[in-house]
Amino acid sequence: MNYRNAMMTTLVLTLLAGGQMAAAGDGAALYKEKTCVACHGPDGKKPLLPVYPKLAGQNKAYMAQQMKDIKSGARANGQTAAMKGIMHLVSDDDIEALADYLSKVKP
Amino acid sequence: MNKRLLTLTLTAIALGALSSANAEWMQKGGEFEKAIDLKPDIENGRDIFEVCAACHLTEGWGKKDGTFPQLAGQHKEVLIKQLSDIRAKNRDNPTMYPFALPESIGDAQALADVVGYIEKLPMNPDNGKGKWEKETPEYEQGKKLFEENCVKCHGKNGEGDAKKFYPKIQGQHYEYMLRQFKWIEAGKRRNANPDMMKQIKNFSDKDQEMVINYASRIPVPKEDLAPSKDWTNPDFD
Repeated sequence: MNYRNAMMTTLVLTLLAGGQMAAAGDGAALYKEKTCVACHGPDGKKPLLPVYPKLAGQNKAYMAQQMKDIKSGARANGQTAAMKGIMHLVSDDDIEALADYLSKVKP
Repeated sequence: MNKRLLTLTLTAIALGALSSANAEWMQKGGEFEKAIDLKPDIENGRDIFEVCAACHLTEGWGKKDGTFPQLAGQHKEVLIKQLSDIRAKNRDNPTMYPFALPESIGDAQALADVVGYIEKLPMNPDNGKGKWEKETPEYEQGKKLFEENCVKCHGKNGEGDAKKFYPKIQGQHYEYMLRQFKWIEAGKRRNANPDMMKQIKNFSDKDQEMVINYASRIPVPKEDLAPSKDWTNPDFD
């Protein structure tokens, strides 16, 4: 491996690692910033009302899918009316980061 | 009176009764009437406000993108009425509803307390504004529309009227006001003032944007504003 390739590899690895750290860190920040915390409680452990789900430790893929479906309106039952009004605040990337963060919180 | 005229008259009366039953702008005997006269406990109000702050921020400034309205600076009477309307299901607001419930914030006294606290918060000097700067034709047209349609109730500077429960709209976020305007027009908000519904029913989409653009750009008196847009509420340090 020549010097230039080594530099590139280092750069790519750094970017990858940095990107991942940012994503994991972002989830926790997004959770507050996008107001998820208001209903689902700190770290997704203590919902405001008993009809809202606890999210800490929930499966990542499941949460991401529910968020997408509530955002698109494909899921519109139960308590989703409360959440639909804020879903324009999150992008698909935000949803991934949020689901990732919450899935890793110990219940 | 012939039979046909009688039928018409009866229908008109029935429709009138129906529309006044639907128009629940002022629900007599509502909780707000009680809460307004209670003496607020500001310290308890601060503790209750923690729940509100998750969305409306600890400064009570809401979000500039209009997702959540600015509460700071709003008249106490308006805040109490809207809170009690939301929890009495007299104003549809599913996102806000759970937070207005007695199990989340408490009874009529709690309404008085939290609103007593909010009333003391200084306003955001950097509210969300519409896209048309001063001196553009759209700004000027919005100003004209505002003067012709809005000042009678909301005042020359959008200051509202506390005694009549008319909200202050100066300093409010553009996107929030536009959304409420459309909901009022469509009857979605339900507790809208019927006079306003009548007043705005011939507004085009562009009229709405222009008039709200103007409203969002009405300057707020300096003494009502926080010293800077970076101000943070020291009660929540």
